[in-house]
Amino acid sequence: MRQLIEELKVKLIDILNLQDITPDKFDENGQLVGGELGIDSIDVLEMVVMVEKDYGIIINNQEVGEKVFSSLASLARYIKENSSKASS
Amino acid sequence: MTSTTVYIAGVGIISALGSGFAETEKTLRANRSAIKPLTLFSLLQGTPLPVGQVDVDGLDLPSALPRTHSLALLAAGQAMAGGNHPPDAVIIGTTTGGIATTEQLLRNAEPNKELYRYHGLNTVAQYVGRELGCSGPALTVSTACSSGAVAIALGMAMLRAGQARTVLVGGVDSLSRLTYFGFHSLQLVDRNGCRPLDANRQGLAVAEGAGMLLLTTIQPDQPRAELLGTGLSCDAYHAAAPHPEGQGAFMAMQNALADAGLHPEDISYINLHGTGTPDNDLAEAKAVRRLFAVPPPLSSIKGASGHSLAAAGGVEAVVSVMAISQGLMPANTGLQQVDPALGLMPLISPVEGPVKAVLSNSFGFGGNNGSLVIGAPGACVQQSSARPCGVLAIHGYACLSGAGNTGATMERINCGASAAGMAELAQISENLPPQLIRRLKRLPRMTLSLAVMAHQNSGFDAQKPGSIFMGTGWGALSETHDFLTRLNSSKEQFPSPTDFVGSVHNGPASQVAIMFGAMGANITASGGDYSFEQALLAADLMYHDGERPALILGADEGHAAFSPLLDASIATGSALADGGGAFAVSRTTKGAKCGMAIPFFASCEKNAVIEQLIASLASSKEWQSRYALVLVGIPAAMEGQGEKQLDHFKALAQLSAPLIRYRKLTGEFASASAVAAAFAASFLERGLVPGAFVGGMDIVLNWSQNTILVLGFGQNITAMELFKPSEKNT
Repeated sequence: MRQLIEELKVKLIDILNLQDITPDKFDENGQLVGGELGIDSIDVLEMVVMVEKDYGIIINNQEVGEKVFSSLASLARYIKENSSKASS
Repeated sequence: MTSTTVYIAGVGIISALGSGFAETEKTLRANRSAIKPLTLFSLLQGTPLPVGQVDVDGLDLPSALPRTHSLALLAAGQAMAGGNHPPDAVIIGTTTGGIATTEQLLRNAEPNKELYRYHGLNTVAQYVGRELGCSGPALTVSTACSSGAVAIALGMAMLRAGQARTVLVGGVDSLSRLTYFGFHSLQLVDRNGCRPLDANRQGLAVAEGAGMLLLTTIQPDQPRAELLGTGLSCDAYHAAAPHPEGQGAFMAMQNALADAGLHPEDISYINLHGTGTPDNDLAEAKAVRRLFAVPPPLSSIKGASGHSLAAAGGVEAVVSVMAISQGLMPANTGLQQVDPALGLMPLISPVEGPVKAVLSNSFGFGGNNGSLVIGAPGACVQQSSARPCGVLAIHGYACLSGAGNTGATMERINCGASAAGMAELAQISENLPPQLIRRLKRLPRMTLSLAVMAHQNSGFDAQKPGSIFMGTGWGALSETHDFLTRLNSSKEQFPSPTDFVGSVHNGPASQVAIMFGAMGANITASGGDYSFEQALLAADLMYHDGERPALILGADEGHAAFSPLLDASIATGSALADGGGAFAVSRTTKGAKCGMAIPFFASCEKNAVIEQLIASLASSKEWQSRYALVLVGIPAAMEGQGEKQLDHFKALAQLSAPLIRYRKLTGEFASASAVAAAFAASFLERGLVPGAFVGGMDIVLNWSQNTILVLGFGQNITAMELFKPSEKNT
């Protein structure tokens, strides 16, 4: 789990071109969307694409999306739960 | 001030609903949805999504002409039917231009740039203008999904100003991979069709079409309707999402009613934008309820037609004319259970009855909004509305070039050296907050940087600009390129929502609006090598905000892959150049650095065009001695023709002022004239044209020799003047 969280920090900084933050400063429990990082609905869609592309998990429901992207930690949990479901 | 009645003399419409007025009426009367799974192009995977595709023979002839152009000409032909005279001007709103053709060429890795010649948005209006025999201005508006409505608004302003007596206006877009996959990547497409205002709506259906109107101030024998008023606004809120309370939508509708001199209770029917996306319909409903104590009958036709993007404003203006002339208020097709959160009661079936006045809405990405009021002939007294008056007074200016910002650029220019090239991305972003620009690529960064510099230079300080007028020949090439590249490399699986939102031509100007909270008119013109001139023309016609200043900008980016392929003036393998200019203006000359005007804009095909150019400049007997300097722009691709035009001008005008070819100093790019205008503003502020620049003595600018002329030759003949404010001009 820790490894996935660290991996996601690097990915989000890269795909969203987050300027003011480094992986070690990234609070995985902090508010991800609409928080200090300035992440908005377009970024969420960019993350949806990344999750599908890199982890094979499709998020196409706004309600699910809101929960999944509430924090980086919840995103990691969702990926872990759904990829283990897929592989089991 | 007298009022000018603007008549709608002819209409043309082609969409998924059918081709022509009669066919469209039949489909709308049947309350039938024309949305079906896409068949226009094949997909690499997945089932085709429902779209509003035009189903007419002869659209895809084996020619280089893109589908957008064919759609535009079909609708234009219908609108002109019965008329013997070409219109004085053509103004078309489009976002796709030749992209559908370009996508196919890129897939085949086609290197022959000749085949990409119809890529530019401006080629649509040019093609239609030429086919109709119009030799006046052919202008292109690109404000995403409000393009058609904004083009109509610009046409009305041109008629009211007396610059034309007939104008063909409207919007057009064709289906393309860019829009099909772009909206899909934003999760804005409803897989079950499109159900505007429905409780279970899940998005729009991407569509195509064209809607054109022939507007005239000459009373026709049988006018279809009258265009009573137009209203523009900008949300200044987000690049893709509408303002949650519909603030911009409210302002556009309010402005349109005020412009028409009508009250909400005068409106018989509202044609909603109603795309079917959850956010749009909710925001629009809030705005309608705020403006109308008791809303009149209303509906969105997009459940039947889909959303034809830039065409929608034109298509729905024609449907509004139909509501009036046929007494037909179309149904909100596709609606099963109205969303109670909207608080509206859309028409569930077509309703017949007398319709005196229609309000039609079009809203787009970047929060660019346009509303139109169309009335029955003679039913409403047209009010005289506020017209722009006073010169455009430049209080601040800025430019970007290969040399860098205004200071760095002018340092080179003042020595007579070239500033051509491409500045580093970091350099053009240095005055911008990192968080604001993290998602922005080259063109929006250049535009924001220019806007900040021009505003700072103006001394307006806390008085932020309220209206934005932008010209860009090619739009955001990086975003467009990257979107298509990722679409192809991922086998159509992972298109980028960020690049799609960034690819719209009005993206940069809407970013400027967001930064300054500019909620007034926000127009992006895309007129190829004359884009900045078109933005200036639009500003001169549409900017009349007494409260807040405006920004007029022109910028284009150099792109390693696309610029040499798409821009005929850029040779393959040659060094790229880009940049732009920006001007913070108001209508008061007090404290201004100089004034700016655009006395001439016409197609090179106009009869005796050089003579007419000179006539537009020769305001007095001593007109020649007014000029201290002439800056001349001839795009490289038009060298031969442009040289002849220039020689003709020189022979007739007999000017003693030196002529300088500015593209040698700026490099070749579409909006180079914006940079040339910034040179002129800088010289006027200093009070002299440096000797090194003209290869002679310094030229002192004084009360008699007070004007710098910026001429454009080639496909269009244009003249801009920058001058020291004199008492005559205040």
